[in-house]
This record gives sequence, C-alpha cells and structure tokens, in this order.
Amino acid sequence: MRTIKFLLALSITIFLVWKLARPLHLGDKTIPPLGAFLNPFSGFWANAESAKGFKSKDLSLPGLKGKVEVVYDDLLVPHIFAENMEDAARVQGYVTAQHRLWQMDITTRKAAGRLSEVLGEKTLRIDRITRRKGMVLAAENDLIGWNKSPETMALLHAYTDGVNAWISQLSPAEWPIEFKLLNYEPEPWTPLKVALVSEAMAETLCSWEDDLESTNTLAQLGPENFNYLFPEWNPKQQPIIPDTGQWKDLHPLLPPPVILDTTGSLGVMEPEDSEEKYLNDGPIVGSNNWALSGSKTKSGKPILCNDPHLNLTLPSIWFQVQIHTPLANTYGVSLPGIPGVIIGFNDDIAWGLTNVSHDVSDWYKIHWANGERSKYTIDGEQKTVQFRYEEIGVKDKPVFIDTVRYTVFGPVSYDFEPENPLRDCALRWIAHDVPMQSTFDVFLGLNTGKNHAAYKNALPGFDSPAQNFVFASRSGDIAIQAQGKYPIRGQQQGRFIQEGDRWANAWHNYIPWDQVPSMKNPSRGFVFSANQNSTPPSYPYYYLGNFEDWRSRRIYNRLEAMTGATVDSMKSMQLDNFSQRAADALPTMLRLLDRSQLDADGKQLADELANWNFQYESNLLAPTLFESWFDSCYTSTWDEITALEKSGKSTLRTDDLAASKNQKIELLYPDAWRFIEILQTDSASVFFDHPATPFRETARDIVLESFKLTQAYFKQNPEKRVSFGEYKGFVVKHLAQIDAFSRLGIKMGGHRTAPNAISKGNGPSWRMIVELGDVVHALGVYPGGQSGNPGSRFYDNMIDTWASGNYYDLLFLKSADSPSDRILGKQVFNPK
Amino acid sequence: MKNTLLTALLIFILGNLCHFGLPWWCIAPIAMLVGWFFVRSGLGAFSGGFLGGFLLWYSMAWFADSSNGGMLSAKVGELFMGVQGWKLLLTTGILGGLLAGFGALTGRWAREIFAKPTSKRGRNYLQERRR
Repeated sequence: MRTIKFLLALSITIFLVWKLARPLHLGDKTIPPLGAFLNPFSGFWANAESAKGFKSKDLSLPGLKGKVEVVYDDLLVPHIFAENMEDAARVQGYVTAQHRLWQMDITTRKAAGRLSEVLGEKTLRIDRITRRKGMVLAAENDLIGWNKSPETMALLHAYTDGVNAWISQLSPAEWPIEFKLLNYEPEPWTPLKVALVSEAMAETLCSWEDDLESTNTLAQLGPENFNYLFPEWNPKQQPIIPDTGQWKDLHPLLPPPVILDTTGSLGVMEPEDSEEKYLNDGPIVGSNNWALSGSKTKSGKPILCNDPHLNLTLPSIWFQVQIHTPLANTYGVSLPGIPGVIIGFNDDIAWGLTNVSHDVSDWYKIHWANGERSKYTIDGEQKTVQFRYEEIGVKDKPVFIDTVRYTVFGPVSYDFEPENPLRDCALRWIAHDVPMQSTFDVFLGLNTGKNHAAYKNALPGFDSPAQNFVFASRSGDIAIQAQGKYPIRGQQQGRFIQEGDRWANAWHNYIPWDQVPSMKNPSRGFVFSANQNSTPPSYPYYYLGNFEDWRSRRIYNRLEAMTGATVDSMKSMQLDNFSQRAADALPTMLRLLDRSQLDADGKQLADELANWNFQYESNLLAPTLFESWFDSCYTSTWDEITALEKSGKSTLRTDDLAASKNQKIELLYPDAWRFIEILQTDSASVFFDHPATPFRETARDIVLESFKLTQAYFKQNPEKRVSFGEYKGFVVKHLAQIDAFSRLGIKMGGHRTAPNAISKGNGPSWRMIVELGDVVHALGVYPGGQSGNPGSRFYDNMIDTWASGNYYDLLFLKSADSPSDRILGKQVFNPK
Repeated sequence: MKNTLLTALLIFILGNLCHFGLPWWCIAPIAMLVGWFFVRSGLGAFSGGFLGGFLLWYSMAWFADSSNGGMLSAKVGELFMGVQGWKLLLTTGILGGLLAGFGALTGRWAREIFAKPTSKRGRNYLQERRR
C-alpha cells in the first residue's frame, strides 16, 4: 500500500515536470512548455523589465584596446564614446545584441533559409525558395568581396565579437522572450550573418522583377496593345537627375534591342499554383529623400531629409546610435547586425538613402540537353550544371538536402515544383555577385566623411541594393547619386523572360561608375528622390524598374516653390498627405460622371468628393470614397485582363494563343498613371468596353457604373462609410506576426501616393531632418522603440509620437560628460 | 498546522535556489527533500508543499509584474487566448504549488518505505518526537 502511494505521488510529480517541460499542441496552435515559460525564475516573467529606473553595470570586455563609455538617453539611444573605430564597433555589437538579439537571429535565419530548424516543416518551402534564390551564396560572395579590405573586415570581426560577448554571458532567464515562446536557443553571431542581414535588405529592395507577367501579357495581348497599355516612360514624371546636356557626348556601345515577338518558343507560361508573387513579396517599398542648399533655407545652411518607407515591424528595422571616435562624431540609424550608421549625419555632413528600384533580376529559359537536366545547351554547345547541395535542418525531422542546379546565368530556382512556370528558368540577380569593394568601406567613408570629396570617394564601392545617396555638407554642397551596379542592357532587355540558349543574352558589361546618374549643386537649389526614374529617356543607357509616379511630382513641386525653408517646413513636407494621383484622377472622373443619373445620396457623395483637397487626412470621409471609387473604376476597366488571367483566353484577339489551354496565368495590369492618362485622352478606348454586354461602353459608362457600385458598397456596409483613418486602421506588426506584441488599429492619414507614404503595414520607417551648421540640429522618429523586448517601456514608446506627426530632437552629444537632462545613465566598458 | 507552515516556509526559502542556475523544476526535488526530512503527514506534505510552492512562484512573478506595471503580463495574457494578467499570476502560482505539493508528498511517502522505523539513523526527528 505504501509503495503504491509513493509510486503514485512520484509518477504524478514526474508527469507534471515532464508535461510542463513540453510544448502543447492545441489544434494547429503550439503552446510553449508551460513550466519553462511561466516559472518566475527563467520564464517570461524574467523579461518583465522595471517600468521605472535604468540599470547598467560597468564591465570589462575582452578585446577592447581602450576604455569605452556608453551614455543612454531617455529614448534608450546608446551614445558610444570610444578611442578607436574597432572598440566602437565591438561595443556597438554588444549593445545592439543587448536590445535586439532575437530580431538579429530571426532576420538572419530567414535570409539563410534556416527557419525550419526552429519552426519545423511548415516553413520548409520558404527555406527552400530562399536557398534556391541563392541567398546564402550571395552572402558568401559578400564576404569574399569584403575580405579585400582588411581594415573594415577588422571592424566587422570586432562587431561580431561584441555580439558574442553579450550572448555568451546570457543565462536562459535573460534570453529574449521570443526564444522562450518559440522554444529555441540563441546561437553565436558570425561575419556570414552580417552578410545575411545585408542580403536580406537586397532581397527587400532589389529583387523586383515581373518578367513572367510581362512575357505572358505580351503573348496574350500582342505588341500593339502591350505598347499601348505599358509605355515605359511617364511623360509627367520628374526624374531624379534632369537632362542638362551632361550626356550628349556619351555614346556607349549597347547590346541589340529585344524585338517584341509573341511567336517565340517561350509562348504562354503555365499556371502558378499559388497567389504568391515570386521574388516580390510584400508591398512595394519606397522612400523619400532630399537636400536643400543654403539658397533655399532660412539659416543659409543646407538641410537634408530622409524617410525610408519599409515594412513597419516591431522590433523596428532601425536602431538609433551615436558613435564618437577621434575620426568622427556620427549619429543615425543602424541595421541590427551590421556595424556603423546606415542613414545619418556627423558634424560636417549628412546623408540619406532611397531605393533606386532598377530591375537587376532577370530570368533565362534554360534549354536542357538531357532528361536528368544535368546538361544544357548554350550557343550549340553542351554545358554541365553545377550542383549545390543545401542542407536544411527541420525541427523534429531529419535534415532535408536540396539539390540546386547552377547554370552560367545563376540558379534554377523553381525546378522543384514541376507545375511552376519558372521551373526551367535560371535567375540572374545582381546580389549574387562578389562585391568589387567592401560595402563597409562605403559606410565607413560616409560615417567619417567631412566633405563632398569624401562622399564621392566612398560611393563606388556600393553595388547592391542600388540606392539614391543624397548628401549635404556644412560647407554648403548638396548632391545625389543613384549608386549601384547596373548591367548595360539592350532596349527592353530584362523586361521579358530571355532565351538562355545564347550567351549573347547575358549581362556582359556594367555602367561605369563615373556614368551612373549623379548631380551636384544644381542651380535650382535642391536635389531629391522618391523612387522615381533615375533619369529621363535621354540618358544613354537603357534601364527598367518599378518606379514611383506620384510622390516625386509632389515633392518636386513643393521644393521648387520653397524659399526660406526651416525645420518646420521640412516636417510639413514629410507629413504631407496630398496625393498627386487623386489630384490627377478625381477631376477627370468627376468630369466623366453623369450626375443626372445619380440619386440624392449619390449627388451628396459626389459633392463630398468635389470639395476634397486631395489630402488623405485621417478625419475625412472623401479619401475613403475616392479609394473605393478609384479601385472599382480601375477593376471595371481591366476586366479583360482579369478574365484572361482566369481563363487564359484572350477576349481581344482571335488568334488566341491560350485558347486551347484553359488555365490561370499571371498577367500585368497597367500602371495607375497610364490608366488615368487613358481616361483623360482616350475615353472611347476598347478597354472600357465590357465584352460580355451588347453595348459598347466608354469611360463615361465605367465611371458611372463604378460610382454606383461604390455607393451600393457603402450602403450595404455602412460601417465602412467612415473617415479614412478608421477605414484603413494602420498596424505595426511583430516580426513573428504575434498580435499581442503588435500595435493594431492606429488611426492616421497618409497614402502610398502621398509624400507621407503610409499604407497598411508599410510606411516611413524613420523620419529624419538634419539642419547643418556650426551646431547640427537634427530631428528624428521611427514607429517603434529602441528595445526589442515587449516587456520594456522602450519597446514601442515612439509609435504615438510618430503617428501624431511629431519628432524628437536627436541628442547629439559632444562628449561622454556633456551635461543633459535627458541622460538615463552611463555604462563603462574596460579592456580585460 | 504548524508543520504545514514550517514545510511551506522551508520550501519558500529553499526554492530560491532556483536563482542559482538550477532548472525551473528544481522546486519539485527541493520539496521532496523537505517532505522527507521535515513533514509529519501526507496531508501536511501536500498542503505545506502547495502553499510554499504557490507563494514562492506567485510572489516572484508578482514582484516582476508590479515593477513592470503589468505591461508584459497583459501582452502574454492576450497571447494565451485573452486571459488577463492576474489569471497568469494565479496560474503561475498554482503550477509552483502543484510541483512543490506533489514533490513534498513524494518525499514524505518515500520515507515511509525507505526509512525503516527500526533504523536509528536518518530518522525524521519530528516523527520521533511525536512518538
């Protein structure tokens, strides 16, 4: 009896411990091990930081050459004061890991195709695609290029050691909460991971292409319709670099143009099985930057502004830092995992970035020479593919080994999916290339630069992801350069999937550094970029890309008219909710709208719209109405394309290429600017006709029909007939999509087509205004907080300031002992 | 009653060993030892163990939570199907209580088997005194 009692108690105890140490599965949800997660010693309670006060202790850090002091301000920005760059990098690594370790881990896991190691089989396909795009190869090649510069490589190693110094002293209780929730452990940082963070940015910023969609659309619509719907140059565009005659003596040798031909062997691609757009996941990213020369400002000194628009996440993509060394005193935002400041300023210069948006990613159709696809034909000769074996760890499962075929163009990414239309295509992506110089030389050069010459010297090392580097100096210079490595293309080369059976189609040469678009001190007194075309078509090199058509025109107009600019006028520009798209489209739509066909409610809505000033303000109803009407009008017009996508059948041509196939295909839709232009200039276009009706509809019919649809929609869904801020409901999501760690339902104005480029989950990830002068005056804010810990008061403390259009004065300290009432505390790192 | 409180107190104090790098479940073996050496009855073992474990885990979590202003427990509670912070605290306490309660009971009942009354060495001094 006693034995039974004892055994019972013992087994209950053991069972409890065992059960509480294991994750629970409830349906498709996994709950972390409850004992491990809830116990107050090492569970999530240990991540509950004190809401008041600030704790720091001095410590010694191996590898330091001198003393380093870190002053934290009231936003938890570390101000690092070091005696040399290497010490600064080491401590930057340490403090960044201290606040953002899990973010660094998950970013590099995603970029390396290693999510499945911790998340299991459900992410295996994502990991395979990541590997098959050559992300790891790209990061390995980065390191080969960076190694050419031992000086900056030493900084990278110091940063890595600093991160690892933080990790190695952590007890499991101190692990970031996401490790506890997802039930895995932190692992050491490496230089390869620094490269992976850099490649993750390349993936976000320069992997855009729509070769497949363009190829399909051309085949379906024919060259005449294709050229009508998809002109490459928007005549209203304000390019970054205007033609001032600087290219008239430039006559480069260009490859032959691509002939638009729908009868080629590429033909119609077969359907994709998912909604996912390859290589182009997530919303379009963009940014604004500009610099005004002293002639345009009240102070007589240049002002520089930048607001990069990215996916807004918690923890934030940016981490603010000040780095003071004898070489320079630099402040700005860094990317967790990469040493130095990416966007910022020092005592003498300021710089900012926007994405260049050129297409630097092409697909080539491979002609296999045997059934195993181990050989392919090029220029009549057989070549052997190189196999790269990717070992993908999968939680609770054996290691998965993926075999990827590499051709002279690049990896055949999608041949693991027989139904994938790109299954026989090889990817040529600029990010795969070994950098010609170290990317870190570029940022080191900017961080420590003192003048325009230093900026010009620094840039040529930067090849991907191409960026518009805007610049201003205290001495009065302003400049901009669309810096990147661009292939020299024939007309339209790279727009469509290319034949991979001839080497002539490959990229052979790149635009020389001294011929990439750039500009210094223009007489108009400002330089700017907003992801629009780098140049007008008179630039002698052909390029294509995903360019922005609206923000740039608005920013140009405002800067052109501006005099006596101050920090406040810069704020009003960054927060400008004026949509050039609405300003172009709405008057036309109202002109085409037959009001006599509307009921009283309809007339009231039309009046509401007619009185709108094209500002996407949070408290207005008009932008809600316009969004809905414009979308509906656009969709009604392009119903032919939607029908083609669904059926693969052309309603426009009799010699229909896909008539026999009956399949879903991926097609292009015209740009919004072209749609508006057709509304304005060609209202009888055949595209306004609904093929299914016996009538011949025109733009007037479509405008009326879509207006009535919109009206009916709001009648059926009265809860949607609300101000724009409520209609949109802005969110900043946690990186693991955990709602409890996200900020949802933020009400604010702004629109993708306005300078204040807010769209759902995407927008200004850092707003910076820098007024140069004897004393630098800088403001900044980002939608997040310095700490990555959801249990910290610094996790999302800047979101409300950001959402309400306010800024923080950036505390730019002269020394570690500078007095300020904004200082939380100081931490001293001593050499060991 | 006195014995229950003594058991609870000992577990509460010794449970703090968890601070020194021991795994989170160390409260169970600690309670077993306390149950072996100090507890007079099975009921006392469980109630004392539960009380000690509950108080230890609850109070530790409460301190962390109140200095944090309940910020994190609100978020984690939302993540766990929308429970409020105080329910998380209670759950934490109950888990600690169950682990220590069953641990102490195991220790107490182990002694009844393994520590023979004939043996003079290693006896439960509380039991001796009662006799």
